[in-house]
Amino acid sequence: MPIIELKDVAKTYTRPTGETVEALRGVSLSIERGEFVSIVGASGSGKSTLMNILGLLDRPGQGGYRLDGQDVEGIGANEQARLRNRKIGFVFQAFHLLPRTSALENVELPLVYSERDSIDGLGEKALRAVGLGDRMKHSPAELSGGQQQRVAIARALVNEPDLLLADEPSGSLDAKSAAEIMGIFQELNRAGRTIVLITHDAAMAAHGKRIVQLENGRVTSDRPIAARSQDRSTLSGAGQEAK
Amino acid sequence: MNPTRLLAQSFRTLPRYRLRTAFMMLASFVGAAALTLVISVGEGAKRKTMNTVRQLFGASSILIMGSGTEFMGGPRPDAARFTIDDVEAVAKQVPEIEAWDPQQAMPAASVRHGDATTKARVLGASERFQQVWDRGVVRGETFDLSAVNGSARVALIGQSAARALFATEDPLGAEILIGQVTFKVIGVLEVFGTDLHGMDRDNEVVVPITTLQRRLMNVDTIAAAKLLVRDQDQVAAASKEVQRVLRDRHAIPTGRPDDFRLITAVAVQQMVAKTGRVLDVYLPLVALVALAVGGMVAAALMLVSVNQRIGEIGLRRALGARAEDIGLQFLIETAVTALGGGLLGVAVGSAGALLVAQKMHLGPVFSWKAVLIALVASAVVGLLSGVVPARRAARLLPADSLR
Repeated sequence: MPIIELKDVAKTYTRPTGETVEALRGVSLSIERGEFVSIVGASGSGKSTLMNILGLLDRPGQGGYRLDGQDVEGIGANEQARLRNRKIGFVFQAFHLLPRTSALENVELPLVYSERDSIDGLGEKALRAVGLGDRMKHSPAELSGGQQQRVAIARALVNEPDLLLADEPSGSLDAKSAAEIMGIFQELNRAGRTIVLITHDAAMAAHGKRIVQLENGRVTSDRPIAARSQDRSTLSGAGQEAK
Repeated sequence: MNPTRLLAQSFRTLPRYRLRTAFMMLASFVGAAALTLVISVGEGAKRKTMNTVRQLFGASSILIMGSGTEFMGGPRPDAARFTIDDVEAVAKQVPEIEAWDPQQAMPAASVRHGDATTKARVLGASERFQQVWDRGVVRGETFDLSAVNGSARVALIGQSAARALFATEDPLGAEILIGQVTFKVIGVLEVFGTDLHGMDRDNEVVVPITTLQRRLMNVDTIAAAKLLVRDQDQVAAASKEVQRVLRDRHAIPTGRPDDFRLITAVAVQQMVAKTGRVLDVYLPLVALVALAVGGMVAAALMLVSVNQRIGEIGLRRALGARAEDIGLQFLIETAVTALGGGLLGVAVGSAGALLVAQKMHLGPVFSWKAVLIALVASAVVGLLSGVVPARRAARLLPADSLR
């Protein structure tokens, strides 16, 4: 059973000016558990809209979406929130860490909204998993960009979600940190985590195992990447070239 | 969502935005402090007034103030003579009157004992002083009719005056000089405390009225007289009769105002009740307005905060917060801040009330009622001022607020 199954999803916005924008025009996409899919597209291609729909932050205008086998079309906003909390981990370009708040508290944020009875130790565990076991009490301002994004990844992982949704996770980072972050994603994927990476950067997209090209609200290509691209040294090089 | 975890979140957020939290607390702090202060002092003042009125009057008495004397108002200009004979005549003609005591006073006479000198109020009274004013001696004895008739040079001393003159020495039996006249101390008065004007009523020396008139002041008038009426219900009727008799004796033509004033406990209590309304209603209302304004400030600050924290709100939504979780968090933040400011305000207001009370000689004025009202009011204002920002925050769409 695919973890994500989109069928003919379309989404139309009306701008405040009255102008209508067709962000998605019939996207069908199926992603299996354990995949690492990069969704690539220029700005305006509809990839942010797709990310919002995949992440249950927005609803499809038309078409169907099954997340982990569950049809999420008719569910209420609170059920959406519950599913976001349990099944999806988000990583954003801007990190979205709370300022003046320790790394650990940032990581524990999803647990506030979790139904788990016990949350002891989960935050520490997630931070150690991204190599920041020694930075738990640091505030974001005391961390480098790469470290901040690793805190954000730990936060995305703390609730053990089925799916990691990353929106331009390396967009605010230097080449070295970007490569590190991508390395973490690859490790997580090797450990079985499903990852959907959304980016405009072909070099970053190449870290995935499969690339879905989005243009003008439509999927224009969907192909696997040769195993050679998985080699990390090559990839770091590619990242630097892209800068 | 776990409510305790959410509550903890709200508490953690507050120190993160120190300046805003401080200003929001200040908003409810001022209102709560004003409310506590006003209610506490108001209660204290009213209690004090009622106590003093009870001390001075009891329920069934009439006070006659001669012209030129002052009591809760200015002196009267057109002087007429008010004498013991006047009161005697009144007592004879108005059968409801049970007892009476005339009064004359030197407001600040110099009193000496050996090398010690003090200024004290010297009061002249009759042998019925204890009965009529309900104030006796704790040691020694009061003077009797023969002392009054004979203008005896005996004195009852108040405890403040005694302390000033005798320190630890025993005043009983000692001699004191009032002006140039020697008196023998025969009694020590019961403690009275301060009166409504903040005057220490224990800094007094009471001597027979005749002695005061003839030997010290060289007058034959009295300043006031207190009449005890047999029955509380007769006070109004008796006071009409007293007025008639006095107008007759002073030959005041119809249409001219009295040259004396009659004060009854009922009249005083009405006056106190009227003043009490200012303390009970208007001042707390002003304080409540301050609190309401504070609430609006808090609401405005919180709205700004919602706009500043759109990113945070979007993030929390993405991480699984429901709209109501977001709203609840902002509501809790506002309410906790307001309540925190309220608590501080209550503490400072109570302390301020104690200070004011000390200055006004009201005695301790801590009021649970004031604390309760101020806390409830600041909590309610906090909740109300949190409603609009909380709704605004909850309505933000997660996809929009993450942009």
